[in-house]
Amino acid sequence: MPTGDEWVELVRSVAVAGDRSAFAVLFKHFAPRVKAHLMRAGVDPELAEDLAQETMVNVWRKAASFDAARAQLSTWIFTIARNLRIDQLRRQRDANAAHEANEGADNVDLLAQVAHDAARPDEQLDAARREGAVREALRQLAPEQVQILRLAFYDEQSHARIASDLNVPLGTVKSRIRLAVGHLRRLLQGMEP
Amino acid sequence: MIAHHPSDELLLGAAAGALDAGAAIVLGAHVEGCAHCRATLRQFEAVGGAMLESTEPVLMAPDALAKTLAAIDAPPPPVRPTAPPLPRPELPPGVTWPRSLAVCDVSRWHWMGPGMRWSRVTLPHAPDANVFLLRIGAGKALATHTHSGLELTHVMCGSFHDGRSRFGAGDFDAADGDVRHQPVLEAGGECICLATVQGRLVFDGAIARWIGARVGI
Repeated sequence: MPTGDEWVELVRSVAVAGDRSAFAVLFKHFAPRVKAHLMRAGVDPELAEDLAQETMVNVWRKAASFDAARAQLSTWIFTIARNLRIDQLRRQRDANAAHEANEGADNVDLLAQVAHDAARPDEQLDAARREGAVREALRQLAPEQVQILRLAFYDEQSHARIASDLNVPLGTVKSRIRLAVGHLRRLLQGMEP
Repeated sequence: MIAHHPSDELLLGAAAGALDAGAAIVLGAHVEGCAHCRATLRQFEAVGGAMLESTEPVLMAPDALAKTLAAIDAPPPPVRPTAPPLPRPELPPGVTWPRSLAVCDVSRWHWMGPGMRWSRVTLPHAPDANVFLLRIGAGKALATHTHSGLELTHVMCGSFHDGRSRFGAGDFDAADGDVRHQPVLEAGGECICLATVQGRLVFDGAIARWIGARVGI
């Protein structure tokens, strides 16, 4: 598997040279993970397949805007998939309304855009440290807490499903998520310089 | 100096893309002025990246790469010309619109009581989201109310005290149905809040209830 720097190099080859073999390596690694992530978040397999492909089309088109100083590749691809999912949910809900299809996931995800645009240069430059700290904190969390934290990325229905699987009330799942988030934040705060 | 921030759960919800559209707008207004919350949001997005990375992959369709490459070869969707800025009601000098409202329609200021005005914010992608602005004169008090659902508030300017705490420009508040409060404005200028309610505000007094029902918040 390519190393961190090699992944960045692959994206650069796509951006600079339209390198299809580099893209195929990215696709092989990320598309099946994006699909799996979406399915676990409650998207049906067929739609998850489409959204995973669409995510990779966006990786190709936006490759030049990927900035390794801002976010790790997996985080960048996660946000692309997330925005497409938000956009798709809105399109689905507005299927009968006058909402134009393909509004552009970038336009609807104002929160991410605003956070991105408002960032001062010094906020952008510490991605490597931030991502390192997050991954270290996740390693230090108990595996059950990581599992619970994962739930926060899935929809309400999946919370309800998990609550019934664990045979606990939905409120218990929510309070466990809250505890896990609190623990993660304390670990991260402990790592700040 | 911002004293009140959104909870970690809300910021995690934003990072996960799980917030409803109204909440995302109000949270966005806070986050664009708050470096602290931007940093937290980025951390949570990095958690999302790590989650994606560690997800057990599933098989893609056999022709997935071929279809994706074909989609890449198709001409990209045309870049649509930037729409002209939407009309906006006036604001006190020095107060600016949060950029999270850029694509929203913001109505004119409507009267809702002496020294109190409100404006409806309509989200093109979620017309049913209950998002509004309240503009209250210095020294006035909003009627005591509670909420049938979660109320999220971003203070654009001015300040108020609601019995629990003081809220000033840039502050963010989340109040659920357990909170019954009466925001009382402080002296020194009017206060404008951007808010969203999942459900409705439930006012105590009959007149306040009448106004609330009329206003539709």
